[in-house]
Amino acid sequence: MPDSNNRPDVVQLWRNWLTDTERQWNAFFNDVMGTDSFGRFLGGYMEIYGTFQRLVAQNMERSLSTLNVPTRSDIVDLSERLSTVEERLTSIESSLRALAEAVGHPTQPAAVTQLRPRRTRRPPNQPSQVQ
Amino acid sequence: MATVGSPETRPLAEFLQTVAVTRNLDRVRRGMNVLLSRDPPPMGAAPRDVVYAKGTLRLYRYRPLTNEVYRIPLVLVMSLISKPYILDLSPGQSLVEFLLREGFDVFMVDWGVPRPEDNRLRLEYYVLDSLPRNIEEVQKVTGETEVTLLGYCMGGLFTLMYSGVFHDAPVANIVCAATPVDFDGMRLFRRWSDPRWFDVDRLVDTLGNIPADLILRSFEMLRPIERWVSYVRLTDNLWNDLWVKNYRLFYRWVNDQIPFPGEAYRQMIKELMWENKLMKGDLTLGGRRVDTTAINCPVLHIMAEHDHIAPFAATRPLTTIVGSQDKEDIVLKGGHVSLVAGRNAWFRLWPSLSQWLGVRSV
Repeated sequence: MPDSNNRPDVVQLWRNWLTDTERQWNAFFNDVMGTDSFGRFLGGYMEIYGTFQRLVAQNMERSLSTLNVPTRSDIVDLSERLSTVEERLTSIESSLRALAEAVGHPTQPAAVTQLRPRRTRRPPNQPSQVQ
Repeated sequence: MATVGSPETRPLAEFLQTVAVTRNLDRVRRGMNVLLSRDPPPMGAAPRDVVYAKGTLRLYRYRPLTNEVYRIPLVLVMSLISKPYILDLSPGQSLVEFLLREGFDVFMVDWGVPRPEDNRLRLEYYVLDSLPRNIEEVQKVTGETEVTLLGYCMGGLFTLMYSGVFHDAPVANIVCAATPVDFDGMRLFRRWSDPRWFDVDRLVDTLGNIPADLILRSFEMLRPIERWVSYVRLTDNLWNDLWVKNYRLFYRWVNDQIPFPGEAYRQMIKELMWENKLMKGDLTLGGRRVDTTAINCPVLHIMAEHDHIAPFAATRPLTTIVGSQDKEDIVLKGGHVSLVAGRNAWFRLWPSLSQWLGVRSV
């Protein structure tokens, strides 16, 4: 924006240029990356990436087993078993909660059960109805 | 030798106090804070309680900020791709906080960060098992039968799929934000994942979950120059506290990607990206057809004109595939993130959203 002496604001001009340049370069790269040849290149890269990952995982697994150290799959197995235990605990907990509620003892954490705001709010242009 | 405060040192002290010097020293200080990730601004700070948990999934209830709330609870359904704190970015810039102040009883379904063993989770787990279970919990806690679902990005897809499968679902209203439905409109992603060169089976079988880094890089490739230009803009605006704070908030969220569950990814690529089944009405989950034309509750659809992740062409037809009579589109100028958390959102979207929901939540 020009100042009071009608001199252009150089910094603002630079900022506009930056925005335009960014847009043009992004558009240019999008055109390049939208071609079949780029898609094929990316597919090839993913193929190599996958192969590399698989080889690294296999070698790592073998090396760790040789050193008698738990491997990633051992940890994942353990994590899976923990998840199962966790799920069973949750289901026991909810059964106990249902039982407790059936005999009149709410077991939800206090913070949740105490949140009992009146559910009577109306939009600003409609009057509230207190129940 | 000159001592501190002596006439010889005074010009130096005066020079150090000039606007140009203090501003540049401030720039250096803020720049160092960004570089070293010092004093990060608080994120996801709205007080909340866990109502239900299973595996990595958490159903949160935010503590109401008003004594009187709208009758129908509002359930935010998050995406699998990113962390949910984009909707509760920072005090004063949080959609959740805004909705609480407006008198909504707000819940959030956070899928959590998938663990390696979660690579077997399919879309059926999220849509047919988890989402109904979460809604049951909301019903139990609030004593209400109906809920409003607000899905952001892929969360919107889950919302549509759930309502398209369970035609008698207790859904009073649906709000979808930045939700792609027509995958033919996702030009670059579609080209990159073309079955002629993209072997999704091999990728999922090898990696299990799709690594967060791979997802982040694929998003960055949609606007390859953006990150570099953002550094230049940051340098230019280092004197501005608010600008730097917003920069740190947005980029922390953008970089905080999570892995994508492998089987769900395989389904997304094959059934949505390759065959566009949701749009054609051919998508089935667990043997049940997802019929979005059977959705007849009020639907609000919010989309961004310059969204590069869920392009306008992919989100635009959403309201054409639902059977509702009461449906509305809101198009904003911003992008995928600024749609729900930018200035446009604060001043235009949030008030419109509250107004739309308010009259339909009594």
